[in-house]
Amino acid sequence: MPTKIVVVTSGKGGVGKTTTSASFATGLAMRGHKTCVIDFDVGLRNLDLIMGVERRVVYDFINVINEEAKLSQALIKDKQIDNLYILAASQTRDKDALKEEGVERVLEELKAMDFAYIVCDSPAGIETGALMAMHFADEALIVTNPEVSSVRDSDRILGMLNSKTKRAIEGKEPIKEHLLITRYNPNRVEGGHMLSLEDIHEILRTPLIGVIPESEIVLQASNQGTPAIAMNGSDVSEAYKDVVRRFEGEDRPMRFIEAVKPSLFKRLFGGK
Amino acid sequence: MAQAQTTGKSSSARGAAVLELKSASLSLLALVLKSADPAELAAGLAEKLGDSPGMFSNDPVVIDLSQLERAERAPAAADPDAQGQLALDAGAPHPLDLAAVVALLREHQMQPVAVQGATPEELEQAQALGLADASGQDLTRTRGAEPRTVVQEVEVVREVVREVAVPGEAARTLIIDKPLRSGQQVYAKGADLVVMALVSHGAEVIADGSIHVYAPLRGKAIAGARGNADARIFSLSMEAELISIAGIYRTTENPLPDTVLRKPAQIRLDGEKLVFEPF
Repeated sequence: MPTKIVVVTSGKGGVGKTTTSASFATGLAMRGHKTCVIDFDVGLRNLDLIMGVERRVVYDFINVINEEAKLSQALIKDKQIDNLYILAASQTRDKDALKEEGVERVLEELKAMDFAYIVCDSPAGIETGALMAMHFADEALIVTNPEVSSVRDSDRILGMLNSKTKRAIEGKEPIKEHLLITRYNPNRVEGGHMLSLEDIHEILRTPLIGVIPESEIVLQASNQGTPAIAMNGSDVSEAYKDVVRRFEGEDRPMRFIEAVKPSLFKRLFGGK
Repeated sequence: MAQAQTTGKSSSARGAAVLELKSASLSLLALVLKSADPAELAAGLAEKLGDSPGMFSNDPVVIDLSQLERAERAPAAADPDAQGQLALDAGAPHPLDLAAVVALLREHQMQPVAVQGATPEELEQAQALGLADASGQDLTRTRGAEPRTVVQEVEVVREVVREVAVPGEAARTLIIDKPLRSGQQVYAKGADLVVMALVSHGAEVIADGSIHVYAPLRGKAIAGARGNADARIFSLSMEAELISIAGIYRTTENPLPDTVLRKPAQIRLDGEKLVFEPF
């Protein structure tokens, strides 16, 4: 099977791209696929923090692009999950160091190493970093919060996915788009404070691959340097596992989208 | 018009072939030269095409040299029964300068693509100019009929050109079938615009003619961009954030009337006023 390059992008910042890249890549590796996740946020890298490998970064993506190091020297093998590799971004350089030919060469080298999936963690915005992350993608996860500015930015990014990427420029089959709603709080949707799934679909008209509920587990996970999907038993972990299954073609009903009325006990004594 | 016949190959593996060879045929005009004298040719072309300058628009043409008077062609010149041979003028026939002939034809918007009936020397000139050798092909009917055929075609075309001389070009239409996302802009220059999918908030659709959106229109719509007050804006769900026809505009700070908001509707200009009408 040919290598699939999947970009995790959003436009808006802070919606959960890096959290998703880490969990999505981990989820694929847990299912037995050789997976590499690359941080394209040059200068503001944090994928390595979320994955818990920040103390093991010696060479990074830019070193490999500039041929200052070999790919095998820069790839960090995850200690917990087999098949999972991380390519960190540089902290000291900036996005001008990302050159299209260099990025293409590194991706081709990864393909030659028989990776099944290459997950590209995009930075926020629509500048070089984001454009480079999406340029060679075959599929895309568009991470969106159920909130107006995030939805508007996701719309912009959808436009760029079908016009500024290699597939679009060369007139090939378009990038397969998957909408991922994160930080979803069904109670606030019910109260009319947040956009519902139907509202978002009405605006974006993109197939939904999953809904990740708002959860404190995400903060705990990043503090521990563990991807959220590895926090077994939590709703976030289950939701990300569903996303990976759907990505591989399984049909799973959406979970964690119903508002839960707190029991009388909870309402009397606080708690969610 | 080229007609292609498939070769019966099945396109199995993706990316297996980057090109295919198919048999095809092309209808051409044959320009039969009787003289190689550039001055005579220029005069002849000017006379035939002078009052229909737009008759050819880079139409492919094969230069038929089989009836050309040639000094070297001693047998042909001596043979009075040679078909189509005209009486020799006084003075030696002009040697063929194919490059000059090609340049002259191109001036008249003809695109020479091949030669036929050429001598080896003429063929060398043709190949140097990138023209194909059509000698092996069965061009049209008989040699003798060719001149008549050419003349007939010229006359027929001339009539047609005269008939449609006056009316202006029909307005073309630019058709978009993918959704237009925030930040994308489309301008249908000198044409109508048809969009068959969603126009998101923050997208811009602009046309010198009318705008037709067969889906929700949520972005900015600017019709009659160069002043055409007859332009209209149509949508199956009118939710535009800005409407403009021939410069008269309205933002939805002033909300669209309920009769048209999110309904199939059209907007047109009545004098200086935008008029909103549901279908």
